Amino acid sequence: MRIRIFVGTGGVGKTSLTAATGLQTALDGGKCLVLTIDPAWRLRTALNLTSSDLQQKVDLAGLPAKGELWAALLDVGASLDRAVRLYARPKQAETVLKHPIYHILTTSIAGMQELMAVERIGQALEDGFEYIFVDTAPARHAFEFLDKPEFFVQLVTFPIVKLIGRTYKLWEGSAMQKLSHKAFELYTRVEELLGASLVREILDFFSVFQTVAETYANRAKRTLRLLRDPRVTGFSVVTTPFKAGRDADYFWSQLRDRRFSVESLIVNRVWPALQPDLPGDLPTALGRTVAWYQDVSQGHQRSLRAVFEKYSGKIPKLIAVPEQSQDLHGVEALYAIAKSVGKP
Amino acid sequence: MSAPPTDSGLIVFCGKGGVGKTTLALAFALGRAEQGSKVVVVTSHPLTELAVSISLEGLKEKYPQAAANLYITYIEAREVLNHRLSAVIPSAILRKAVLSSRVYQSLIEVAPGLKEIAFLARLRQLAERRRHEEDGETFDLLIWDAPATGHFLQTLKAARNFHTNLSGPFAMLGDELVQFFADPSGMIVFPVATLEEMAVEETIDLYRGLSNEIHVPPAGIICNMASPLLASSDQEFDDIYRKVTTAESERQDLKFMLDRHVEERSLFHKLEATVTSPLHIVERAPESGSDLEMLVGISGQVGAAVASR
Repeated sequence: MRIRIFVGTGGVGKTSLTAATGLQTALDGGKCLVLTIDPAWRLRTALNLTSSDLQQKVDLAGLPAKGELWAALLDVGASLDRAVRLYARPKQAETVLKHPIYHILTTSIAGMQELMAVERIGQALEDGFEYIFVDTAPARHAFEFLDKPEFFVQLVTFPIVKLIGRTYKLWEGSAMQKLSHKAFELYTRVEELLGASLVREILDFFSVFQTVAETYANRAKRTLRLLRDPRVTGFSVVTTPFKAGRDADYFWSQLRDRRFSVESLIVNRVWPALQPDLPGDLPTALGRTVAWYQDVSQGHQRSLRAVFEKYSGKIPKLIAVPEQSQDLHGVEALYAIAKSVGKP
Repeated sequence: MSAPPTDSGLIVFCGKGGVGKTTLALAFALGRAEQGSKVVVVTSHPLTELAVSISLEGLKEKYPQAAANLYITYIEAREVLNHRLSAVIPSAILRKAVLSSRVYQSLIEVAPGLKEIAFLARLRQLAERRRHEEDGETFDLLIWDAPATGHFLQTLKAARNFHTNLSGPFAMLGDELVQFFADPSGMIVFPVATLEEMAVEETIDLYRGLSNEIHVPPAGIICNMASPLLASSDQEFDDIYRKVTTAESERQDLKFMLDRHVEERSLFHKLEATVTSPLHIVERAPESGSDLEMLVGISGQVGAAVASR
């Protein structure tokens, strides 16, 4: 069982590289799953991804594939609904799904995406996938995805929610004395600040949501342990040439602080150095464009050399992926990228 | 030099991650600050992270006027909430106990939309301070370097969610914020795009979200990091392309450069055909000098795009 997580800032091509690495592994054999957040339409078509949250098998006809490639969208609403139905009693599930806080929870994707990513990895492991490739949300959110499950675990275990449990309504009338004076005082102040209705809605919701949350939290703890285990999980930092130096420094230190292991640094979309032989009657617009292209591509080579020099010996794999002349089209294009990424 | 007049409370640069929102927001701010406007940029990156992605080294020495007029700030939503709390709890000991309690910390972490709504409230407060010019702490221009599309739309929607789904102080605040941000004199929005498939798709979604759900149609869309060929007409480009590809020896290297642009051009036309907001072009800057020179280099193009509104 191997898990590979791709992190990076926005717009660097994490999704394509996640899919390409998944494809590369599937060619060698094994049951592979690519979990992705928001692929472009054509990549989505190539990966056979419809709106369903269940994984779809990718058609690898024509490629020398020994294994299987599957893909799934990390659909927050669908994964959460699925978790609720899976972990709650039918009547409880009904209450949860209808609760106003649940509605806000699912529409407020920033927090939930991270929580659900961990849940979804857990589901995939239970579904028997041997290799899982995860495309994360950009930058800071990638770390929330690693940090948040612990907040969630804290929330469902903090005394007030535990005490309230399913007898919240009852507690309101009679059981207040069970809380220490100090805890009660604190609770009242928090209520004053955030508005009693909001706090009560949240507590009410979590009191029903508790079974779901506890099961979720236990699974999240187990999954996080796997993510911390360097024999199971490796991180790939994806970047583009001009951002490479700064991104590498940032993600390297963030991941190290969290005790995760960085397996590769992938510099994507490096403009190849080209020395075109120019026609005699060169149109001005073309001349300008060639000069502009060479200027940018020389900058790319400089950045690349600098960052590879700095991280050689620190990050096991340093990979440069050249710019394609066109955007991705289909599995064949992924295959082309997969070859330059190499074996994971 | 006198500052050009601005009538809007807040100018927003938004769009997909990696398209250059921060770069354009800073370039625009820098240009206006150098012309004499006092400018505040609210960025969605904590300042330590911002320093990772862009550097203003040399600003004081080379552009003292801009340095004196430019303020960059980050709003930490948690701090705004804590601040509100401090105002209602007079006792310092109790305040500290509440702020450090797990109940409070966990609640504000998981209560969906709470941090977003606190952020919006602070942003509105800043925009209004600019308008009313009270207590000497005034400035001319407020710029929001917004988070990536999903989180940006969700931040704007948080206000409505609170208003629709809950009651109490935050629901009332939500209602006020919905009204404030729907008022075109309160906020004008410039989505930023790069001419790549995903970025264009996301820009179209963002354009629709802003127009139909938030009711703030974009004032213009900025196509960033374009190639110089985009300035040529379709006819001119076709001529160049034919010349290169029909040459006796196929010029592979030149063809590679032009093929990249074919995609770019078709996406520009797609965007043009789908949105009603005007499109503006900012060319990709060659990466020769410092970040500061790059920002100064494109500030004219961004300034012209915003001014042409």
